[in-house]
Amino acid sequence: MTRLAHLWDQSRCIACGACIAACNAANYHSTDMTNKTWGWLASNIRRVEVLRGHRPLLYLIQCQHCEAAPCVTVCPTGASYKDADGLVKIKPELCIGCKYCMVACPYNARWLDEETGLPRKCMEDECLSRVKAGLDPVCVAVCPADARAFGDVDDPNSEISRRLAKSRYVRLLENKGTEPKYFVVVGP
Amino acid sequence: MLILRVVELQRREFLKLVGTAAVVSSAFGVVHVASASQHTVTSSSGERVVPVMCGACGAGCGLLFVERNGGRYLLPNLEHPQPGMCGRPASALQMWSHPLRLKKPLKKVGDKFVEVDWDTALNEIAAKLKEVVERYGPESVVITRHDVHSWFLPLFQYLVGTPNLIGHEGTCHSASTAARTTVLGAGGPPTVDPDYEDVSYLVLVGRNLDAAMGLIRRLTAARERGVKIVMVDPRVPNIAFSSVEWVPIIPGTDAAFLMAMAYVIINEGLYDVDFVKRYTNAPMLVKPDGTPLSGKEVGVEGDYVAWDAADNAPAPLDKAKDPALVLSEEARQRVGGARTVWELFVERVGKYPPDVAAKIIGVPADTIVRIAREFATARGVIEDGWYSAKNGNDFDTYRLVLILNVLVGNIDKRGGLCFQESAGFPNVCDPAGPDVVTVTGVKLPAPKAKRLDKLLYPLNTSTFDAVYEAILTAQPYPVKALFIVGTGPLQRDARYQMAVEALKKLELVVAIDIFPHDHIDYAHYVLPDLMFLEREEVATVKWTLHAAIQKSHKALDPPPGVDARHAPWMLMEIVRRAWPDRAKAVGYDERYADPHKFEEWERQLVEAALNKVADRFKVSLDDLKKALEERGFVVLKKKSYGARPYKTKLGTPTGRVEIYSITALRNKLDPLPDYRESLYTRPKAPDEFYLVNGKDNVVSSHFAFTPNAKYLGDRTVWMNPKDAERLGVKDGDEVELEAIDNGFKARARVRVTNRVREGVLFAYAFLGGRRSSLITERFAFLREGVNPQWFTTGKIEPVVGSAPTNSTVRVRRL
Repeated sequence: MTRLAHLWDQSRCIACGACIAACNAANYHSTDMTNKTWGWLASNIRRVEVLRGHRPLLYLIQCQHCEAAPCVTVCPTGASYKDADGLVKIKPELCIGCKYCMVACPYNARWLDEETGLPRKCMEDECLSRVKAGLDPVCVAVCPADARAFGDVDDPNSEISRRLAKSRYVRLLENKGTEPKYFVVVGP
Repeated sequence: MLILRVVELQRREFLKLVGTAAVVSSAFGVVHVASASQHTVTSSSGERVVPVMCGACGAGCGLLFVERNGGRYLLPNLEHPQPGMCGRPASALQMWSHPLRLKKPLKKVGDKFVEVDWDTALNEIAAKLKEVVERYGPESVVITRHDVHSWFLPLFQYLVGTPNLIGHEGTCHSASTAARTTVLGAGGPPTVDPDYEDVSYLVLVGRNLDAAMGLIRRLTAARERGVKIVMVDPRVPNIAFSSVEWVPIIPGTDAAFLMAMAYVIINEGLYDVDFVKRYTNAPMLVKPDGTPLSGKEVGVEGDYVAWDAADNAPAPLDKAKDPALVLSEEARQRVGGARTVWELFVERVGKYPPDVAAKIIGVPADTIVRIAREFATARGVIEDGWYSAKNGNDFDTYRLVLILNVLVGNIDKRGGLCFQESAGFPNVCDPAGPDVVTVTGVKLPAPKAKRLDKLLYPLNTSTFDAVYEAILTAQPYPVKALFIVGTGPLQRDARYQMAVEALKKLELVVAIDIFPHDHIDYAHYVLPDLMFLEREEVATVKWTLHAAIQKSHKALDPPPGVDARHAPWMLMEIVRRAWPDRAKAVGYDERYADPHKFEEWERQLVEAALNKVADRFKVSLDDLKKALEERGFVVLKKKSYGARPYKTKLGTPTGRVEIYSITALRNKLDPLPDYRESLYTRPKAPDEFYLVNGKDNVVSSHFAFTPNAKYLGDRTVWMNPKDAERLGVKDGDEVELEAIDNGFKARARVRVTNRVREGVLFAYAFLGGRRSSLITERFAFLREGVNPQWFTTGKIEPVVGSAPTNSTVRVRRL
């Protein structure tokens, strides 16, 4: 089986915003449209800072490509689905804009494109096209800190598998039973 | 050297992106020859890939402009010796098509701007410039810059005949550069840098590696091997979200921290005695009056003397077989009571035991001791500073930074603090005897007057804040015209209020830029420039230890409605219209009034420069040009370690690392570093705070304008939760800040965050508090927050000309 997944290394990320802005440039043609759902730019990656603990912490939140994805479960039309490659995708032609998926997502990983009335999320067309061509998604390609990886977690020789094998990592909100495939590395 | 992983990534990326040999011509007229090894373009899928040098900040990272599936974006050029990237270039297409881009030449009529055509603007500027030069002399014309067009501008300067090309460095790296010059005989920030990929322990003092991003990539290799990173800063910069130790120091006390580190290292014998003896002036003898003992005073050769313990006699500093760091009383008597530099330095350091320093810096003594031991035993590196104009005592800080690196002997070694290999890319003009000679060999008359800031601050790189005073006082001579090229003085300089008054007094202000920064409102003429994706440029690759040059290719034309031109063209046209004979002397005439023809003329200059590079490295010019065309860069020489100071003398007066600076002494500064008070008033009352500022990888003067910056940029003022609780301030509350030193008042929203230490506020420089009248409601977010320069003292660090950008403010709840 193929199970494509994202890795984000919290211990290396320098919060430079390259992935966030590159997602906007590559997938949304550098639009200045506001992502009102998140109060954010049109990007599939959101920055969350935890600023009251003993040290500042950063999280980059995006679609977790869950194995048991609530967005897929609640979708009344089958527009949200898990593909054979393990990624959660949207068929816009089937989407009726009901936003159930947005509400169901415990990560708040989807946002509403007010121009189309449809939800947006990682991964969008350019990144899917890049992956199809054997390239990394743009957020991985631009990262200067090598804080991101993408690939097949079922392939032990993939970059992401090799990095997971030598790292301590967590998955976000595992208690929700979503079986997320967004691996947050916290250290070697 | 790039790490293997990066190379693997690059190969994977590019082999998939690039087909076999192909020639692709784009709709934009950019033609590249590509092959499997050249990684430029593939035509099969309609992709277009163009190597560019980022212009979103001054670091000049290597990028690739990509056009794919009808979209455009930027990627790092992973083959490049200094690959990007960060949030700034990732937003570059928003800069390109920005609604607020300056679109047409503007002329101030009354208090409004009117659009004029290029001929009108250039003719009127040329006529006024000529009038100013004839009436007040060429030195009354000042040009200021940041990094953009910095290679070309000296040609314009010397054609006008002014000495006054004065950059941004007084509020940037003037202090750290003066330190590199006096201690190591080096130059600007990239001339010395940590060897990041092999560093074992890295201390960053007031530096956050917000640029260049190639440094971050190299540091990733060190992270793989478990490097420890320590960050000494009153606030948490973005990099400190990654695995680093944050040392939240009281602003302006860095020198005391470093003194205490030296105390521990010396007292615990953790320094490299051999290095200190052989390669520094620590054994140099200094007379009781503070001047070096000269050879003729004790009957030996040379200007500098040491005590040779092997012969028990004085000897020339460079010839002593066993130079003594500490003298016996007998020896001291024989050299007239002189003391070694080492003795003087140890005495100075003795003022700062960790428990004493801890009270100054607000960090526990245990932390200082531990970091000193870790740093010394790991043979670590302390980064040598870039943006260092913070507190007005920064020259001492960065001298100490360099000296600590020297104490552990980690100079120009793998994983140490290293000298950059010079690419030798020549300047467009260089002084040669009584003349100035251009890169094409044309002699121009050297200006008669001295550069006005150099008269006041002889060890500076530039101190533009001195220009405002000159405008207002006409001392040392009148200043009447100002060209502001690709820089924002009102965001940049530390005498904001004086700057505004001074700009109003000028007879001619010409602003060349892509965005309406605050100073645009005070310009008589505004000329829209090309942004980095729209022009060619050949330049040194700055932030690599290798010798390398790069070519940024033109990727795009300006968007519809933007009649922008290349700044060097504008400036040469102004010269031609004012003084056709001067233009002709450098081969420039009306043929080049056509901007496309101008590119041919400019290429001659660049080719002359490349010729010199080719000569120096004994490569063919054609090969050099071919590589620049196809790959966007050339590595001319890989870093070789162990040259300076081991085989080659340093460019200091003694040829050694100078712990005791002869240059400082000659300029009436303390030859030894010390901790001195900041130039701004310290906070005293419970509602008074330090206001520190800084940059980050989502901050630059141009990035500030992008729609992305509305969300990625932070225009709040940070306050520690304990202070907020004490003052009853909640997250998002608006407060009034009142400058203690100049009374300026402004409002800002507070972010309550543990990213700043108690007693300190933080605001980003260059992001908030924009005041240009050309900012529209759609971009009203630019007006939010504060410009840290509003609150500064305006005092300037003597001799090195570094203007503190931190300040002190009183906070009032609203």
